[in-house]
Amino acid sequence: MELGPIISAMRRNKVGAIVVGVQMAITLAILCNALFIIEQRVALGKRPTGTDEANIVVITNQWAGHPTDLAAKLQGDLAALRSMPGVVDAFASNTYPLSNGGSSLNLKLNPEQRESTAQTALYIADEHGLQTLGLKLIAGRNFTADEVLDRMPGTNVPPSAVIVTRALAEKLFPGKNAAGQSVYSEYQKTLAPIVGVVDKLQVPWTQAGGFGSKFNDSSLLEPYRHEAPYGYYLVHAQPGQAVAVMKAAEKRLIEVNRARVLQKSQTLTEARAEAYKDDRGLVIILGVVCAALVAVTAFGIVGLTSYWVAQRRRQIGIRRALGATRTAIIRYFQTENFLIAAVGSIGGIGLALSLNLWMVTAFEMERLDTRYALIGAVFVLLLGQLAVLWPALKAASIPPALATRAA
Amino acid sequence: MLKMTHLSKAYRTEVVETFALRDFSIHVREGEFVAVTGPSGSGKTTFLTIAGLLEEFSGGEYQLDGANVRGLNDNQRSKLRNEKIGFIFQAFNLIADLNVQDNIDVPLRYRGFNGAERRRRIQEALGRVGLSARSRHYPAELSGGQQQRVAIARALAGSPRLLLADEPTGNLDTQMARGVMDLLEELHRDGATIVMVTHDPELAVRAQREVHIVDGQVVDMAPQPRLVEAAQAGS
Ligand SMILES: Nc1ncnc2c1ncn2[C@@H]1O[C@H](COP(=O)(O)OP(=O)(O)OP(=O)(O)O)[C@@H](O)[C@H]1O
Ligand SMILES: [Mg+2]
Repeated sequence: MELGPIISAMRRNKVGAIVVGVQMAITLAILCNALFIIEQRVALGKRPTGTDEANIVVITNQWAGHPTDLAAKLQGDLAALRSMPGVVDAFASNTYPLSNGGSSLNLKLNPEQRESTAQTALYIADEHGLQTLGLKLIAGRNFTADEVLDRMPGTNVPPSAVIVTRALAEKLFPGKNAAGQSVYSEYQKTLAPIVGVVDKLQVPWTQAGGFGSKFNDSSLLEPYRHEAPYGYYLVHAQPGQAVAVMKAAEKRLIEVNRARVLQKSQTLTEARAEAYKDDRGLVIILGVVCAALVAVTAFGIVGLTSYWVAQRRRQIGIRRALGATRTAIIRYFQTENFLIAAVGSIGGIGLALSLNLWMVTAFEMERLDTRYALIGAVFVLLLGQLAVLWPALKAASIPPALATRAA
Repeated sequence: MLKMTHLSKAYRTEVVETFALRDFSIHVREGEFVAVTGPSGSGKTTFLTIAGLLEEFSGGEYQLDGANVRGLNDNQRSKLRNEKIGFIFQAFNLIADLNVQDNIDVPLRYRGFNGAERRRRIQEALGRVGLSARSRHYPAELSGGQQQRVAIARALAGSPRLLLADEPTGNLDTQMARGVMDLLEELHRDGATIVMVTHDPELAVRAQREVHIVDGQVVDMAPQPRLVEAAQAGS
């Protein structure tokens, strides 16, 4: 290795080396932050809801005009749905996972408490809710039919019981069994007994850093019949029959009563795709930007090194005449690029961490895992080596006789 | 030391093929100081280029230090060049970005010598050419004569078997040229084998013998009996 002479030669031609080094540092900084965001968004889109998504169909129902006798209408619809072939179970709710809409409650352990203990999403469900969503009960029990009350719009009947998720249970009663305890809801102004704990049920909101991101798995089910002009029928189909059940259920509901609009029907799998559409878009844009950045940097290195090779044709010929093998010439440019890239990478890691720090404070981003910076540095080093190869090969093909010719 | 027999070198440019050397035979013995003269375009540089393994030849035989160099690959030629040959060019050919000692260091690094050995050789070579005090100067900070001395130091430092010089004084004024010539003579007295191309008849006569090239061939020079001897030895 001829580090010493390479460094002193570079010191006499600083500008180009600095330009490439800075470019590599910036590339590294942007690249590893972008990859970090990509990785996070991809992970976000994969978070499980805790439900049997592929087999759950959501039908959005809106009664026409000013519907009367909603209780009877609801029971008629549910009876019709539950009796359909291919249907495991069904219930009506105010929201569903991945819908990005719903209500939240602030919970306290007792009415006197000033600050609330936990925030939670509210799912309305009858005794068919757990089976329809495919939730796993890990403590306590399901709602009984007696506990399920009527809930008309504009009324505020206190719940007779609640079921919470494991995450919510741990926030409310860390280290204790939540089943058998009671929680106080600021909205309903009443203490309700927790009768069961389910393993997992994601809140309806999915946006990165958005509402719900701070209590992603804290959900609470309240036993009501959702007797509202607008609501969702959740239907659990037999495996593989979701789409067929969805079509048949729409038809069946219209047969039962034509005075309604079935605004939108989809499986939860489709709801997931829709919920994370923007994230996927961001991932693609960032991916394209990264690819473009890498390409620009690579071409920058190719361009500048080619220029250096052209500038140093004579010197290379002299080196060849003095006994340099082709490999030695290639190695010269590789070493030179490695030195620039090494300095650029160190600067780039610093820049990446500061860029992240700024995003952490400005956009509530997560802290960059330093491994990303290191992986990015290795990548930039390899990129440099790859980009320098072609001009280096051109340099190696300069004939040694150049030293005796062209004065 | 250097023996070429019926050697030819053709340069192909698009369609034309010009023979820069044809039926070229020469024999330079160990310790000789040979001056190569001839008109411009006669093939002097071509001869040195082939002798120094910078280019391949088209036909004939070439033995360097007892070894046949025909058919050697690029790496083998680079290695031989590095170990056995020291070049001195008309244009000095120092690397402008490197200081004097780093310039002399270039072939020594390719040789694979360790740091201590390289430092020793650099000091010794600089001493030989009388430039020990200038080891950290850059080429641009030296006079032409000094630059050529550095180039000679670089050529010497690896203790080559053969020194090849292409008009080493061509870019120097008379006084500096004389100094460089004195140095070459001194090296020759110390045992170096030197082949020097020159236009200058005054310099040519200071060599042991003169080889005259015309039109790519060595021509007989009647008053130089040794030349006949060399040609005979080569056939
Ligand atoms: N790379 C090349 N391609 C084509 N022809 C070449 C090449 N190099 C040299 N020649 C030709 O070979 C012939 C010999 O050239 P060479 O450089 O050996 O002459 P020279 O004796 O050194 O001349 P000068 O005294 O002017 O330096 C010339 O006709 C020249 O044009
Ligand atoms: Mg010439």
